[in-house]
Amino acid sequence: MPKNSKDKDIAEVVSKKCSGCQACVGECPVGCIDIVDGVAKITAEKCIGCGKCVMICPSDAILFDKPVKKKAVKTAEVKESAIAQYQGVAVFIEVKEGVAADVSWELVGKGRELAHKLNTKVMGFLVGHNVKKIASAAISYGCDSVYVMDNPAFEVYVSRVYGTALTELCKQVKPEIFLIGASPLGRDLSSVIATKLQTGLTADCTGLDIDTQEKLLMMTRPTFGGNIMATIYCRNHRPQMSTVRPKVFKMPKSDSTRAGEIVPFNYEAQADPLIKILETIKIDAANAIDITHAEVLVVLGKGASESKHFPMFEELASLLGGSIACSRPLVEAGLLPYVRQVGQTGKTVAPKLYIGIGVSGAVQHMVGINGSEKVIAINNDKNAQMVQVADYSIVGDYAVIIPELIKGLKARVPNFLIQGAK
Amino acid sequence: MMNESYDVAIVGAGPAGISAACVLADAGVKVIVFERGEYAGSKNMSGGVLYGYNLAQILPDFAERGCPVERNIIESRIWYLSKEAGYSIGYRDSVFTKERKFNVFTVGRAKFDRWFAEQARRKGALVVAGTTVVDLLKDASGKVTGVVTNRQDGEVQAKIVLLADGVNSPLAVKAGFRPELKAEHVALAVKETIEIPAETIEQRFGVSQADGVTTEVLGEITGGMDGVSIIYTNKNSISISVGANLAAFAKSKMKPYELLEAYKLHPMVAPLIAGGKAIEYTAHWLAEGGYDTIPKLAGDGYLIAGDSAMLFNALHREGSNLAMASGKMAAEAIIAALKKNDVSKQGLSSYIQAMNDSFVMKDMNKYRNFPGFLYDTHQLFNELPQMAQFAGREMLTVNGVTKKQKQKLIMDEIKKKIGLVKLAKILWKGWRSVK
Amino acid sequence: MHIVVCVKQVPDTTQVKIDPATNTLVRAGVESICNPYDLVAVEAAVKMTEKYGGTVSVITMGIPAAEAQLRECLSLGAHQAILISDRALAGADTLATSYTLASAVSKLNESDPVQIVLCGKQAIDGDTAQTGPGIATRLGFTQLTYVSNIVGIDITKQTITVRREIENGSQIVEAKLPVMLTVELELGAPRYASLPNLIKAVKHEIKIWGSKELGCAVDLIGLKGSPTSVKTIFAPPPRKGGPVFDTSDGNDKAVNGFLDTIFQKEAAILSQILNTDGKVKHA
Repeated sequence: MPKNSKDKDIAEVVSKKCSGCQACVGECPVGCIDIVDGVAKITAEKCIGCGKCVMICPSDAILFDKPVKKKAVKTAEVKESAIAQYQGVAVFIEVKEGVAADVSWELVGKGRELAHKLNTKVMGFLVGHNVKKIASAAISYGCDSVYVMDNPAFEVYVSRVYGTALTELCKQVKPEIFLIGASPLGRDLSSVIATKLQTGLTADCTGLDIDTQEKLLMMTRPTFGGNIMATIYCRNHRPQMSTVRPKVFKMPKSDSTRAGEIVPFNYEAQADPLIKILETIKIDAANAIDITHAEVLVVLGKGASESKHFPMFEELASLLGGSIACSRPLVEAGLLPYVRQVGQTGKTVAPKLYIGIGVSGAVQHMVGINGSEKVIAINNDKNAQMVQVADYSIVGDYAVIIPELIKGLKARVPNFLIQGAK
Repeated sequence: MMNESYDVAIVGAGPAGISAACVLADAGVKVIVFERGEYAGSKNMSGGVLYGYNLAQILPDFAERGCPVERNIIESRIWYLSKEAGYSIGYRDSVFTKERKFNVFTVGRAKFDRWFAEQARRKGALVVAGTTVVDLLKDASGKVTGVVTNRQDGEVQAKIVLLADGVNSPLAVKAGFRPELKAEHVALAVKETIEIPAETIEQRFGVSQADGVTTEVLGEITGGMDGVSIIYTNKNSISISVGANLAAFAKSKMKPYELLEAYKLHPMVAPLIAGGKAIEYTAHWLAEGGYDTIPKLAGDGYLIAGDSAMLFNALHREGSNLAMASGKMAAEAIIAALKKNDVSKQGLSSYIQAMNDSFVMKDMNKYRNFPGFLYDTHQLFNELPQMAQFAGREMLTVNGVTKKQKQKLIMDEIKKKIGLVKLAKILWKGWRSVK
Repeated sequence: MHIVVCVKQVPDTTQVKIDPATNTLVRAGVESICNPYDLVAVEAAVKMTEKYGGTVSVITMGIPAAEAQLRECLSLGAHQAILISDRALAGADTLATSYTLASAVSKLNESDPVQIVLCGKQAIDGDTAQTGPGIATRLGFTQLTYVSNIVGIDITKQTITVRREIENGSQIVEAKLPVMLTVELELGAPRYASLPNLIKAVKHEIKIWGSKELGCAVDLIGLKGSPTSVKTIFAPPPRKGGPVFDTSDGNDKAVNGFLDTIFQKEAAILSQILNTDGKVKHA
């Protein structure tokens, strides 16, 4: 065990494991830890060897031979009885142009799993105008009850209006968990509610589970735009809030025979006088590009950015019934619009088939496609990260591969479909 | 045009430029330094050796100021290598761990240059990074009156401009203060930093935690070209570099990276870097032309220091100290010129005088023929190492052959490979070029 | 007009590498940069004051080294920069962060009323997009996220009109000041700083405020003020690579080998994709 010049046993950071979360910096009673070059560094001379940093480090990145028990973070003391009052898994039902957003049902499906482990119920929180049909749908997708706030003031989403209403609903109903789909609307809304409720919110979770021992929600999400995953708890505050991107969880089956309660929530909704929507410009639905719903994506990376080949890529995509998407460099070069961008700063997609052409497989991109069922890489570098992880790869020049691929598909697909039809 | 003007504008925040900035700032001179890299040191690379004496001339308390030292060098080695073998001689002295600590030490240039520039900033110099000086301002008589940078409203007036913008010195060339570099006056060096745990380095080199060893290498490892290689120890890594004359590279069509890879496999090099991971790869030019390529150091309104002035002593692997010393002398000359209010070539001439009187020009002059000797004597990098290998191999193999017979074999090999007369000539020329 | 821009020092995630041995992100030695969205916000703020008058203050909650990022913002034309730095602030989640930043905006508001707070849409390390709305909610400012264009500011009416991006389209929204805007990259790339601004930035005396100066409650900041805490950090099992068809053995051979394999092994998925009753979507 390392010692400092005063011959004291001290802690030492293993910088390779450190994620720079700064938890140790705040915890150290003598302030001997600083962030240097992105990772924690302990000033040996000041360290008193108390081990508090070791207890709080989530990455096991601190060396300390003395046995130390991992302790949970002590946040503000909250009476256990107060927490016990919060029960149930609430799911925000987002209304998009008169229908529920798919992500809401995906979360209801997940909510059922979580509620089962907690032996509790799933409640839909529905806000909108003329949403009776959606309330019924919520039951059939798995809600045990649906709280409905139906009011003209909720016709169009306004942050303050929805935020205040849902905060009030949470205060009354006291769910222990509140899930919101991370659509643009959901991301705008969730922090408003969490801040008003002074509770914890974890964004873009890719995994949700229950710690059955502690009866807590385990929220897992990627950090640093990369594939370090963090599992996060919200111990002493309620509700435990989480947003989840569309397509992360599977759409549950709808069962119209399911029974449940529709509860109109009495709330004086009012328009927000400080904001006026002057104009809404909709992208024509027929022309609307939504790569998140495509079952097949042909994704162009930096290595496939020659626009003269775009017709060829489009032919490949259309043969498979898919859409064209791309990584960030092509959007930055102005070759394709932002709506087609996949990755950390673009959209998260989970197609059945992902075909990456000239995509290197950088971490920021992979984060957005991890839910893909099968990944196919076409790349001329066999050492590219994408080729290392793809389910199937073709290594070579895409300009000769793709025409051959198109030819091969045209030859095989008709026979394949006939076989299937049998 | 900027509203503010400065006493001195320095181009380049490397060792020469920052040394000058420190001395000038200490004297209350209004200094601005322009660095084209994102931060001082981001575009600099060297083997990594610094000299405590010269740094102390600028910052006597550099250790207390937290100078980022890698290892304190207590032993210097020279190797003469053939393809499969090599001779080694080293000098280690305990005085370098004690009284003469920091005589020579290794640094990481990015870290060091950044720290060094911060010291200048603390003294009151303005260091502006991410900004390239693209031209000089001159008045009607041709006197330098400031610099032009690549940013909007980027012209800055200064009474004196110090060019410290490196071996290439685009500015000095553009302004006509020195000619464009000829390939034979430059060496191209490629360097790899190999990560190795500190304890392993200490074991392999037989040093304690703070100390290290430098190794200069000559021989066949530069692919037959005129060049030199180095192995320097850092805290948690080893720097290894191979460099050869640029003109020789052009002729031989060898690739620098291939040379480096072959070098790493040499039986004397490989064990030192075994198990290590290459974490950085850089390339740089070295000013090898010597004394005869040094440009005019001063003119009306300007001075040239450091690598821009081709101040590099290849034989002794000294460059950073020449840079610092020249930066200091330039600063002192500038202070004198400002006092006299004479920034003409005449007014700045004390720089030239000081340089001539100092070890800088004296050493450069002493070795003025050395670069030429190396360039012309290709046997140093081909036949001689091969012969040396033959001699060593023969003499050290115990196989029943009499020592006299062995001597004869060696002499025959010398005669065959190079001839006694030629060998004598080479030794004589070599001696002459360094005395 | 007083505009406050909240910026964050983040690791340059485009430079972050994966350690192949442990499959973890290597944070050590990665340069810190100013969150790209935040620079866009600073540029927008400076443009607004160039058009309508006023000052731009840039604030950041970070370690001392974050000064470098503040200077970058100053070089774009911001007028003052404040570093909020204090050990007690370390380990903050978004709730504690928005509390601290909102406290700083309140303090700035005391000496010069703040009409607009700008934040980047999200930070490229955490990607939560939570801090901006958190600040707006605490200050009671009207919240406008995903702003892609500033249409105009009416000083007399004290309103701002912006275009913001929503799902499948955009809105033109007019809101009464004060407002909090989070900005998209489309709002406009930051300028290449002029030399005078760069020099001003280098010379600027950056104020440093700690939690005491801001009057922050001790249990609402840093680790203590964070309802969420990280339990573990781990690397997920890496996706295992599958068969590689190399065209160096012949283009036809590779492609047909691939097609044969996929029609055999992935027949299920292919039938789902291809037999979709004519609902083949082509966009």
